[in-house]
Amino acid sequence: MIAPDTALTPEMAARDDIIICRGVKKWFGDFQALNGIDLVVKDREVMVVLGPSGSGKSTLIRCINRLEVHQEGDIIVDGIELTNDLRNIDKVRSEVGMVFQSFNLFPHLTVLENVTLAPIWVRKKPKAEAIDLAMALLERVGIPEQAEKFPGQLSGGQQQRVAIARSLAMEPKIMLFDEPTSALDPEMISEVLDVMKVLAREGMTMIVVTHEMGFAREVADRVVFMEEGAVVEINQPEPFFTAPESDRTKLFLSQIL
Amino acid sequence: MSDTQILVADDSEEPLTNTRPEIPIVAPRRWLKENLFSSKSNTIQTFLFTGLMLSIVRWLLSLIFAEASDWTSVTTNMRLLFGYNYPAEQFIRVWFCLGVIIVAAMFTMGAWNAKPDFSLRKMAISTTAGGGFLAMIWFMCTVGFGFAPLQKVDGMPSGLRLGTFLLAALLIALGLGVLNFVHEPHKIWIKFTTVLYAFAGAVVAFLWLVPFGRYEFADGEVINESGTVATSTKVPWTYMMLLLVGAYFVGRWLRQFIPEGSYRMVMVIWWIVGPSFLIFHVLRDPAFDMGYVFRVDIPMALAFGLGGGALLYALAKPGRGELARVVGAVLLFFAAYNWLTAGLGSGHLFGWESMLQKARITFLMLSFAVLMAPTFSGEPAARRRFAYGWIGFIAISHWLITGVNTPSTLDIAAPPFLGGFVLTVAIAYYVFLASFPLGILMALARTSKLPLFRVMSTVYIEFIRGIPLITVLFFFSIMLNLFLPNGMTISELGAIFVGYTLFSGAYMAENIRGGLQAIRKGQYEASDSLGLTTVQRTLLIVLPQALRVTIPNLVGQAIGTFKETSLIAIVGGFDLLRIGNSTIPAQSVFQGQKRPALLFVCFVYWVFAYSMSRASRRLETKLDVGD
Repeated sequence: MIAPDTALTPEMAARDDIIICRGVKKWFGDFQALNGIDLVVKDREVMVVLGPSGSGKSTLIRCINRLEVHQEGDIIVDGIELTNDLRNIDKVRSEVGMVFQSFNLFPHLTVLENVTLAPIWVRKKPKAEAIDLAMALLERVGIPEQAEKFPGQLSGGQQQRVAIARSLAMEPKIMLFDEPTSALDPEMISEVLDVMKVLAREGMTMIVVTHEMGFAREVADRVVFMEEGAVVEINQPEPFFTAPESDRTKLFLSQIL
Repeated sequence: MSDTQILVADDSEEPLTNTRPEIPIVAPRRWLKENLFSSKSNTIQTFLFTGLMLSIVRWLLSLIFAEASDWTSVTTNMRLLFGYNYPAEQFIRVWFCLGVIIVAAMFTMGAWNAKPDFSLRKMAISTTAGGGFLAMIWFMCTVGFGFAPLQKVDGMPSGLRLGTFLLAALLIALGLGVLNFVHEPHKIWIKFTTVLYAFAGAVVAFLWLVPFGRYEFADGEVINESGTVATSTKVPWTYMMLLLVGAYFVGRWLRQFIPEGSYRMVMVIWWIVGPSFLIFHVLRDPAFDMGYVFRVDIPMALAFGLGGGALLYALAKPGRGELARVVGAVLLFFAAYNWLTAGLGSGHLFGWESMLQKARITFLMLSFAVLMAPTFSGEPAARRRFAYGWIGFIAISHWLITGVNTPSTLDIAAPPFLGGFVLTVAIAYYVFLASFPLGILMALARTSKLPLFRVMSTVYIEFIRGIPLITVLFFFSIMLNLFLPNGMTISELGAIFVGYTLFSGAYMAENIRGGLQAIRKGQYEASDSLGLTTVQRTLLIVLPQALRVTIPNLVGQAIGTFKETSLIAIVGGFDLLRIGNSTIPAQSVFQGQKRPALLFVCFVYWVFAYSMSRASRRLETKLDVGD
């Protein structure tokens, strides 16, 4: 069992626990996707989750915002425990933003409407204020001129940046990224990663499931390696990539790098 | 060295452009050769099919011009076909309604900025084809091919024959002239306004200049007069054409003053509410008892409107969601209680006097509105809009209901006052209007996670889909009154409407369910992770996408509904088909004359169904769905 506070620097260890997973287990029918996960994510930490396909990385982060329901164990997000209580779920979802592999933008709305939808209808912001917020966010991700276009008219990289802006519009404390660049052409990956690096530098708590090793090395505070539903190794990026401890980690890295 | 060619970049050459190469326009002769006569078997097929189509056309023409066909049965009975029993002196009300509808349609075009422009080339081709078709008709009726089944058709009046020849020649000349002498006709676009002027002008010219002749139906005899059509036909239709053109321009002019969103919302609300006003207040002309109105109806409307509005404004404040749900549940219980006591007669349940029908309905609506209040909660401006919406709803619905409850001033031979084509359109409109939300609700229920909704809606849908429409209509027209609480009756037409709506709703639900299944799971996940409630997700994300996908099916359903209204003839409604099939042949002058009336009825149905289908394809291209 890997202790959840492995590889924390003293400065990070002093921060609050923002996400606590204790003994989380999840089954899809007979197949066990999560095999007892013990993990702690600290405030303002950037955690990158690596692993082969089927290792449960996406399932884990989808459990954190209740897109999947875990059967055993506890998940506590910013002090709110994730149970079947709808009010808890709503509270957690208002603090956690998610960016998907397939963008999932709303095709019948313009880019601006995509970003302002949630602030207007969930946070009940007045329309003008929501539009100002949305335009500021679109500038931050670098595409303010696309505001009146429809998602179908944008490139993949631009769509993913709109998706990031859409999640940021709800002013979340935590951002979850589920393989954000896996569906992009190589030349568009860097524009999305740049946005994510800026977010990390500004102090957002991020959990990123990705195959982009360069990003992990550069930005992550900790790297988590998962296989077959369990955490195999947690370490800081440099020691993780140069001197992995577990044999399975060594095997995985040799296949990727 | 001197004979070595040095290749130098020549700046005088045109750079490679990245414009798309133009789709080459194929000349008609080459098109014919490539598509119809390309091979031996193709040629044989072309001749066979052409022969088949020509014989069908000939058969139709023989029906139209047969000795036995007396077209006066149709021309004299136009008013009957259009409005059945509607008293002739009051027919101006019908014209008024038609005028209002034309104006509303043009305003709607303005609201949606619809400017369908026509390509000159396509128009020229259609004109030539139309002229060719008329020429073929003239040929069939004058000369014929000499062998059965393509012989000459007798019976076409010589005046009509001459007119057809002239018109055919004119159209072909125009079309071919444009195609051959106008430079690049596929690039010239004719504006809609030009077409509008041309159409209105042509109709007016036809009415006032062409000597169709006049018929009168007096003392059981048909009197034939020469000259142009009757004044009672000429004048109103001229006004209609003027309205058509004028309203189009006014509709576009209004765009400068009214923001687009509000303009569209007003038009949508009009189409939902307006026709009911036209039918129940204009056509039916209720005789309002002003004293009663001021003593009872208006105070009740004010109380419900303002009181309810204040209640909704208060309950929509953020944080009062729980309170709103509790109040809503109490009101719902109260409303249900009222319906129960009405059924048992007054005074039976703890001495409670049964309330006026209008009050019962309003309490029910109020409870629904209160339950919806949390969805509309927010800043004061939004809550005020919600309250105003309620007040507006009360104003409109109470006015309508009061009108319906008041007896009519019309002197009708036999009720109902709706008949003929007006009845067909009215039933089709109401059924579509009511079955659309019903279908959406049932589709959402059938795909819901809650087992109760799923089971109820599946039972409803599968049950209705197993019964033919005519059985449903019979059942409802006879049985519905037995199921209603005491003191509440529903007219025969009302019962037919309910039955037809339930029938149509089931099919609508299945269509919409198909659209719902076309939505990717990621849309639901994105909505959930943004924190949208289930209701918000359904209204803002899921339904807009689902409905867009099912538009072809929905329009097909609308066309089917429109045509199937002819079945109400069997349960007692006097719609267009029944008048053509039974009433006209029953008239003593036109004993047994079925054919011309039926042909005309077919033609009317076809014109409307085809227009709907064309409009649907235009809508599809605009929304980018379908092919």
